[in-house]
Amino acid sequence: MKKKKIILRILLYFVVILIVVWTITPYLWLIISSISYKIDLTTVPLKWIPRRLTLENYQGLFFHRGESSFSADVFVDSLKNSAIVSISTMLLSMPVGVLAAYASTRLKFKGNSVVMITSLVAQLIPPIILVIPLFVILRQFNLIDKTIGLILVHISIALPLIIWLMRGYFATIPYDLEDAARIDGCSRLGALVRIILPLTGPGLVSVMIFAFIASWNEYLYAYVLTRSEARTVPVIIGEFSTKLGLDYLQIAAAGVLASLPPVILALIFQKFIIKGLTGGAVK
Amino acid sequence: MKTIKKFFIDNEHVLGWAMSGPALIAILAIVLVPMIQSIGQSFQNLDLARPALNAFIGLENYANLLKDSRYTSSLVSTFRFSVISVIFELILGVSIAVVLNKKFVGRGFVRGLMILPWAMPSIVNAAMWKWIYNANFGALNALLSQLGIIEQYQIWLSDPFWATVLVILANVWKETPFTVLMVLSALQTIPEEVKEAARVDGSSAWNTFIKITIPLIAPTLMIVSILQFLWGFQTFELITVVTGGGPFSTTELVAIRIYQNTFRSLRFGYGSAMAYLTALILVIPLVIYARSTYKRMVNY
Amino acid sequence: MKTKKLLWIISIIIIASFILAACAPAAEEPAAEEPAAEEPAEGETITVLFPKHEADFKNAFDARIREFEAETGITVNLIQGDWESVANRVIPELATGGSAFDVVEFDNGWVAEWCGAGWATSLNDYMEPGYTDDMIPGLVDLFTCPDGEVYGLVWNNDTRFFYYNADYLAEAGFDAPPATWDELIEQSLAAKEQGVVEYGHAPYWIQEWALANELHFYTYVFGGSLVDDQGCITMNTDPKTLAAVEFMIETLESGAYDPAGLTYNQVDAQDVFLKGSTLFNPQGIAGLLTYTEDPTISNVVGQVEIGLVPTTASGSSAALTLPEAYAIPVNSQHKEAAWKFIEYMTSKETNIKLAKEIGILPIWVDLFSEPELVSLYPFWADFQAQLPTARGLSVITWYNDFVDITNAELHKALSGRQTAQEALDNAAAQLSNFNCVP
Repeated sequence: MKKKKIILRILLYFVVILIVVWTITPYLWLIISSISYKIDLTTVPLKWIPRRLTLENYQGLFFHRGESSFSADVFVDSLKNSAIVSISTMLLSMPVGVLAAYASTRLKFKGNSVVMITSLVAQLIPPIILVIPLFVILRQFNLIDKTIGLILVHISIALPLIIWLMRGYFATIPYDLEDAARIDGCSRLGALVRIILPLTGPGLVSVMIFAFIASWNEYLYAYVLTRSEARTVPVIIGEFSTKLGLDYLQIAAAGVLASLPPVILALIFQKFIIKGLTGGAVK
Repeated sequence: MKTIKKFFIDNEHVLGWAMSGPALIAILAIVLVPMIQSIGQSFQNLDLARPALNAFIGLENYANLLKDSRYTSSLVSTFRFSVISVIFELILGVSIAVVLNKKFVGRGFVRGLMILPWAMPSIVNAAMWKWIYNANFGALNALLSQLGIIEQYQIWLSDPFWATVLVILANVWKETPFTVLMVLSALQTIPEEVKEAARVDGSSAWNTFIKITIPLIAPTLMIVSILQFLWGFQTFELITVVTGGGPFSTTELVAIRIYQNTFRSLRFGYGSAMAYLTALILVIPLVIYARSTYKRMVNY
Repeated sequence: MKTKKLLWIISIIIIASFILAACAPAAEEPAAEEPAAEEPAEGETITVLFPKHEADFKNAFDARIREFEAETGITVNLIQGDWESVANRVIPELATGGSAFDVVEFDNGWVAEWCGAGWATSLNDYMEPGYTDDMIPGLVDLFTCPDGEVYGLVWNNDTRFFYYNADYLAEAGFDAPPATWDELIEQSLAAKEQGVVEYGHAPYWIQEWALANELHFYTYVFGGSLVDDQGCITMNTDPKTLAAVEFMIETLESGAYDPAGLTYNQVDAQDVFLKGSTLFNPQGIAGLLTYTEDPTISNVVGQVEIGLVPTTASGSSAALTLPEAYAIPVNSQHKEAAWKFIEYMTSKETNIKLAKEIGILPIWVDLFSEPELVSLYPFWADFQAQLPTARGLSVITWYNDFVDITNAELHKALSGRQTAQEALDNAAAQLSNFNCVP
C-alpha cells in the first residue's frame, strides 16, 4: 500500500515536470533568441546555448540608437498605455459583467435570454468586420488614438466573455445554498455578495485574470484605433519589422517582457484560485 | 401566497434588468451600431475603391459567396482547425488542470507559470513558431535531428498536412492555458462533501472523475469549448505570419479571407457578407451543441 | 406585457442606430473646397506616416526630419512602422474620408486605385513647372495619374539588384556572375555539387504579397506581360509569361533553387543568404550591402558583390522597380506645410545625405554621376545600365485581387500541384470579372 503511494507520488511529479516542459520550452527558446546574435541562431547543428550572448535587443527597446530617434521611448510608453488600458478594462468590466452574469443565470426574468444572445452575438461577429465602422464612429467623438477610446472598446469585448464564463461558475452552485440564505433573511444581493461570490471566488479570480489578458493582448482594435500616442504593447511589437518582414530578435525581446505582467498577476492571485476568496469559510 | 409569489417574480424582473442593464448598454453602445452598419453593408455593393458602382444589391453578395471556392474551402479549413484545436485543448487542458489540482511542492508556482503561453501576445507567438519551424535553421528540425528522429532537415511548412498540424500545434500550445485556468477554478467549486460521498461509496478515482467531476464542471467545459471554437474562427496573426495561408491556400482561414476582401480589396459589402454568413453557419451547430449539453446537465 | 416593453425598447434602439448609421458617412464628407493656399504658419504641426526603411538602422530619416523641423519651424508628428501596419492605417483613414494625416506613404501598387478614388492631392499645384524634369522619368510616370498630374514624389527608389557571393562563386570555379539565367542554374548546380553552398538561391515565395512582385520580376525578365495598358489580362495568352512561370518551376525542380523558398518571406531568404547557404539573392533593397558587413547577422562579410540581372537566352532582361512615394491626402488641413516636407525630403541635398549614410538610391538622374557618391558606390554604374529597362508593377485598380488570386494559383504551380499553363489559366478565369477594367 505504501509502495503504491510512493509510486503514485513519483508519477505525479513526473507528469508535473512534463507539463512544465511543455509549457516553458518554447518560451525558453524565445528568451535564448532574445539574448543571442542572429547568426548564432541560424547555425547547423544548432547550439542550444549560444557561445556569446548580448543584451542588444533589450537595449534597443529602451535606449536611443543612432544620432536621433523618434522611436525611442515608444516601448516604455506602450507599456504604460497597456497597463492603463488593461487595468481599467479589468476593474470596470468585472463588476458590471458579474452582475449581468448573475442576473441571467440565477434570476427568472425575461431579459436573461437577451443578455445571453447579446453576448453570444458579440462573440460571433469577427472583429475585423466591426473595426472600420467603429473607427469612423470613434473618430466622430474624437476618440481615435486615445486610451479612453480603447478602454471603452476593450470593455465591450471583455464583457460578453466575462458574462459567459461567470455563468459557467454560477451554474455550478447548488440552488439550495442560495435558497437557504434567502430563508435566513438575506436579500438577493445579500445572498450574491455573502454566499455566491465567495463560493465562485476561484472562478472570479480566473475571469479577472482573463479580462486583464484579453485586453493586454488585444491586437486588431488597438492597432486600427491608435496611431502614435495610445499604441499598446502588441501594436508596437507588430511594428518591429520592415517591408521585408518581422524582425524576430526584436520581437523576441519585447515578447519576453510583454508576457511577464500577466504571469506575475497570475502568480499573485493564484492562491485565491486554490482557496477561493473566503478560504473555505462557507463549508 | 399568490401575492408574495407575484411580488417575487416582479422583483426579479426589476432586479434582473437593473443588474444586467449596465452590461447590455456597454456592449450594445460599442457593438450595436457597427454591427447594424455592417449588416447593412452586406446587402450592398460597397467598394471603397470604386465608389461609383456602389448600390443596394440585396442578397447578391451572399449568393456570390456560395460560389466563391476560396471562401468555401477556407470555411472547411477553419472548421478543421477549430475543431481539432478544441479537442486537444480540452483533453490537455482538463488533464493538466486535474494534475495541478493535486497537492505537490511548488504547485502555486506551476499554476502561475502555466498561463505563460496564453499571456504571450499572439504576434510574438506567431513569430516564435515561424522561427522554430524554419526549414533551414529552425529549432524543430534541430531537435528532431539531434534526437535521431529525422535524418535531414525537413521543409515542414511546404507540406499541406504538416503545415496544418503545426499551426494547430502552435494554436493549442497558446490556448490550452485558458482551459486549464477555467477548469482549475471550476474544480475548486465542487463541494468537498460530494467527493467524500463518492469515496465512501467505494467508487474508483476514475469513476468518480467521470461520473461526478465531469458533470459538475460541464457548464464550464461547454462554455470554454464554445469560446475556443469561436476564437479559432478569428485566428489571424498566427496564419498570416507562419504560413501566409499556404501552401497554396490550404491553411487559409476565414479571417484571412475577410481581411483580404475588406482591408486589401476594400470591398466592404462582400467582406461583411462573408462575416455574417460565417456567423450564421456557426450559430446552428453551436445552438445544437449548447442545447444537448445543457439538457444532459439538467438530466443529471 | 414586459416583452412588449422590451420590444419597444429594442426597436427604438434599432431605429436610433439606423439614424446614427445614416448620419455617420454624411458627417464624414470631405470639405468640398480646399483651404485656399494657406501659408505654413510657424509652429504648425503636420502628421506624417510612412514605413521605416529597411536599411535605416542609423535613423537617418529621423535625422533629416529633425533638420526639416529646425529649418522651417514646422513640427512633424512622425508615425512609422512596418509597411503592413502603415498600409492598414492609411487605407481606412483615406477610404473613410479622414483628415488625420498630412503626408502619407503612397506605394506603387496603390496608384491606380488612388487615382480612381481621388484620395491624393495633385502635387502640380505646388511644384514649380518643370520641377520633375531632372528626376528619373520612370519614377515620375509611375506616380502620375491618368489626368497627367503627379500625385506622389518618390522617397524610396527601390530597384532590384543582383547580389551574389563572389567568394563562393570563385570556390566553385567561376570567375564571373552568371550572364544568363541558364548559366545561373548551371553555376548553382555546380556549386551545390561541390558542396560550396546548399542551393543557388532561396527564393521568397511564401504565399504573400512579395510573391506577386516575383511574378512581375520573372515575367519582365522574359519579356512577357500580365495585363496590357487597357487592363486586359494577357498573362494566360502571352507565351513569354508562360516561359517565365515555367522557368520559376524549373529552378525548383532542377534543384538550383531551395524548395524551402516556398515557405520563406524576404527576411528568411536574406537570412539564408547572409548565413552563407546560397550563392545569389536578387533583391530590391539598396541596404543589403550594409547588412552583409555586420558579423552578428552575416557569415559572408566582404564576400558579396552586386552585378547585373542575368538575361534570358535570347538576351532579354529587365529590372523591377518598386518605389514608394510621399503623397498628400485630399482632406489634409496642412497641405502647404505637407508640400514643404515632401520637397525637403526628396530634394537633391537630402538625397545625397541619405545616400551617403545608408545607401538609399537617389531619384535625381545627375546624382548617379556625382563623383563622391560614385566612389562610395561603384555599382551604381550598373544600376544606371539597368535604368532604361526598369518597370513597375501592373497598374490596375484591382491590383489587390490580382495579387490574391495569382499568388494562390502560382503557389500551387510552384508546389508541383499544377502546370504553369493551368496556373495562368485558372488565375485569368477567376479574374475574368476584372478583365479590361483599367
